[in-house]
Amino acid sequence: MSASPPPLIRAHAISKWFGHKAVLERASLSVAAGETVALVGENGAGKTTLLRVSAGLIESDRGEVSAAGRIGYCPQEPGVLDLLTADEHLAFFGTGMDIPRPRALREGRALLEEFGFPLDERTVARDLSGGTRQKLNLALALLGDPPILLLDEPYQGFDLGTYVNFWDHVDRWRGRGKAIVIVTHMLAELSRVDRVIELKVHPSRAVQPHGTGGG
Amino acid sequence: MDARKRFARLIMVAEMQGRDLLRRRLALILLIVLPLAFYAALTTSDRHQAVIPGGIAIAFAVGGASIFSVLSSRQADQRLVLAGFGPWELVAGRLMFLEVLGLPVAGASAAVMAAVSSPEHPWMLGLAVWLVAFIAVPFGLTIGTLVPQELEATLVLIGVVGIQLSLSGNAVVARVLPFWGARRLIDVALGGSFSIPRLILACMAYAALLFALSLILMTGRLRVRRPVPMPGVPWGSA
Repeated sequence: MSASPPPLIRAHAISKWFGHKAVLERASLSVAAGETVALVGENGAGKTTLLRVSAGLIESDRGEVSAAGRIGYCPQEPGVLDLLTADEHLAFFGTGMDIPRPRALREGRALLEEFGFPLDERTVARDLSGGTRQKLNLALALLGDPPILLLDEPYQGFDLGTYVNFWDHVDRWRGRGKAIVIVTHMLAELSRVDRVIELKVHPSRAVQPHGTGGG
Repeated sequence: MDARKRFARLIMVAEMQGRDLLRRRLALILLIVLPLAFYAALTTSDRHQAVIPGGIAIAFAVGGASIFSVLSSRQADQRLVLAGFGPWELVAGRLMFLEVLGLPVAGASAAVMAAVSSPEHPWMLGLAVWLVAFIAVPFGLTIGTLVPQELEATLVLIGVVGIQLSLSGNAVVARVLPFWGARRLIDVALGGSFSIPRLILACMAYAALLFALSLILMTGRLRVRRPVPMPGVPWGSA
């Protein structure tokens, strides 16, 4: 029997309070290359917080995150600039990753095309539909081919075809050895992931106590 | 990273800031019109002295543009840092663009005021008005970073510039406000007698201080906690 592959990202015993409000207590997450993990739980269980801690966007009060590669992070709310076009976003984010503009545009457009983004449009992000803006949001997370993907409900606003297509892409990314974490409420798709981690609302905030939070 | 590459990254931030602002056509019109409207309204009572509030009012326009450059990119900034930009690169790139933008805004206002009010030293008026715009950029960046809500940030800008406008240059409080040196230089343009190098130095020192402050605040706000690199896995360091 072969040994299981080492994790590419590991968040260990993460605790996080916002003021006096405990959101996470000793929550853990570990994802290997070629593995897709779904992060599920009720509203307020700390899914987004755990993802943001794992990406390095917020600091945990306890615990440690280690990773073996660049992280592609797709936030729930598109973190895009309202008055820039898709091409300008690709060039801007690409420069941050030291990717030359022509390459960033080439690779970024290929990603957008995969999601059915209307490439001929020179519309600024503010004037895109919610689903189209989300495609840009997702493409920015994938730019530069990061080995680790942290996706926070990345399909919001997608039409049915794009939604199905998204999960096909997840299969392909997994096949290429990426470590993928998807925050999702779509329980019907859980058969398409390798593991499910359920977070519970912290007992101090739960209406009815039902165990400690943590993965 | 070599200096050329570093500079290209700053230019990219400046370029995108420019593209964003140049698409806000109404805001651009207001940038020019607002200080001139302020000046025009006051020329009816004293055409000569109206250059003082007219010149300082540049701070409303340029400072406002700087505040919104920070606030409109708030959602994207942390992602840009996650993508590899340093917080200082975002601040410095924006500063570059906004300082360049301040030149025509200040130039247009100074030219109109010089033509209408005929100050004793028109070139000094031009320098003073440009210095107001020059300081207003880091001032706006600092407010935008320190007060991350649009309404509150705008009120702080209105408050500080308004106090500066309502005080005479001799008031103790006026001396600690950002545009005191530039205001005194407008007095010089109107025939007053003050040490010009000292006033220019005061303006530059204030601008440098505000820039440093905005840099510190932005670095704190956008700090990304990089994960600990995991050894022995063939993806390279995190």
